[in-house]
Amino acid sequence: MNLYQRSIRIIGGVFVVYALLVATHLGEFWPFSIYPMFSQAGNPWTRAVVREMPADMERVSSWDAVPFQDLPGAAYPLTPRGINTNDVANYVSKAETWTPQRQRGLRSLFTKSQDLDRPLLVMRVRGALNSDSVSVHATPVMLVTRDTLDLHPDLAPSTVATSDGS
Amino acid sequence: MQRIADTLSHELFAFDRPETRGHRWHVHLVELFLVVYAAWFCWDWGFYIQRNITEVLLPLGIAQYIDISFLFDHHLAVANAALVTLFGALGFFRVWRPAYAIVFALFHLQYTARYSLGEISHGSNLVGMGMLALALTVLFFSEESHRRRFTMGFLYFFIGLGYTSAAVCKLVATGITWPHGQHLLLWIAERKVDVLSKFGAFDPNLLQEMILANYHWGTAVLVFGLVAEGVSFLMWWRRYRYYIVMLVVSMHFGILFTMNIFFAASTYLLILLGLPWPIIINAAYEWAETGSASPSGKLRRAT
Repeated sequence: MNLYQRSIRIIGGVFVVYALLVATHLGEFWPFSIYPMFSQAGNPWTRAVVREMPADMERVSSWDAVPFQDLPGAAYPLTPRGINTNDVANYVSKAETWTPQRQRGLRSLFTKSQDLDRPLLVMRVRGALNSDSVSVHATPVMLVTRDTLDLHPDLAPSTVATSDGS
Repeated sequence: MQRIADTLSHELFAFDRPETRGHRWHVHLVELFLVVYAAWFCWDWGFYIQRNITEVLLPLGIAQYIDISFLFDHHLAVANAALVTLFGALGFFRVWRPAYAIVFALFHLQYTARYSLGEISHGSNLVGMGMLALALTVLFFSEESHRRRFTMGFLYFFIGLGYTSAAVCKLVATGITWPHGQHLLLWIAERKVDVLSKFGAFDPNLLQEMILANYHWGTAVLVFGLVAEGVSFLMWWRRYRYYIVMLVVSMHFGILFTMNIFFAASTYLLILLGLPWPIIINAAYEWAETGSASPSGKLRRAT
């Protein structure tokens, strides 16, 4: 077998393994992928923002959705705290049942290696096309304080978060 | 079929073509880039896992068969990054042939631990494929010149395949209307939320303002992106390779300017693969040795 034949056989072998793995694992088996990011255009999306609330806040007064420009509290930028926004978005969009383990998991993103100065309100943000514009609304999901956790009483499962990390 | 395989094999690997110093240095640089970036990813993820992650929300890859949460504590993910660095060095200096295969396996473990919370990140896939190429080339070839040719051919094949697959996914999932500019309005709004979430503020750039004011600009951008991805498989042919790879690079800059997403590792690797570095390196050698360089004269030999 010459070098060309050997090389093309190796490529062919990897290709077969690649195809089998992505076909049996919903298109993803790192580093093999069918690369479906941004393939479903026009669908509503779900992301997350975190807001810093007043220090004495222990309960959420209203769980109603608000327009994105009317977010309560102050911005809590995640990147300077070493938290990936996609991870927060995935929690709020993919968790269908908020088991105690899931609640602890989301809470640990903010508290595993640092203390909270003020309560944090985690909000689920949904965007959808409305004729020629995009409507964006945010719904409170969870209030995380130093010692307590206040969870939305009836949060329906959401669409899958879509952004692709780089 | 056999004929296609033969043609493709010659286009990708070119074992018969003369190898210049520029080629050798170029592949060394690609290899060094892959090893360093794999280690960097693993260190970055290792600290993130130790600092932030406590549970598996969505198991990916091998995590569907083993409980990957053992990497979440006791600094095991950081230790894994140290092992990747160690074995990467052993592979780079050809101390132990299976070293790159072990790097690839540990890299996979680290990815599945880092992305166990549901995000499916593609930012490291090309580096992962590169590590697989290095692992296979060291295991299956004994001569360094053959390893170099195989590594590059493998990369061009699977990178071209991956980007074309992305275009096919878009056409299958959405159809021919995928590049409609209103879709980009929706994604820019999504990215606005993400950037606000990350940094606390979002200022649209000039291109984003143009698209938000008139979505037809968005249609033009998306058509370009879809075409660039669709024709990516043409990088399998030597005559188109540099143009196609740089077309994909420009698509990545389009993603950066429209959606604030930068696939750094992929873009840097593509720049490393898509510019005629062997010609540039040869010209630099010639200039250093004789005081003058004639890059155009080297073009045919170098490519």
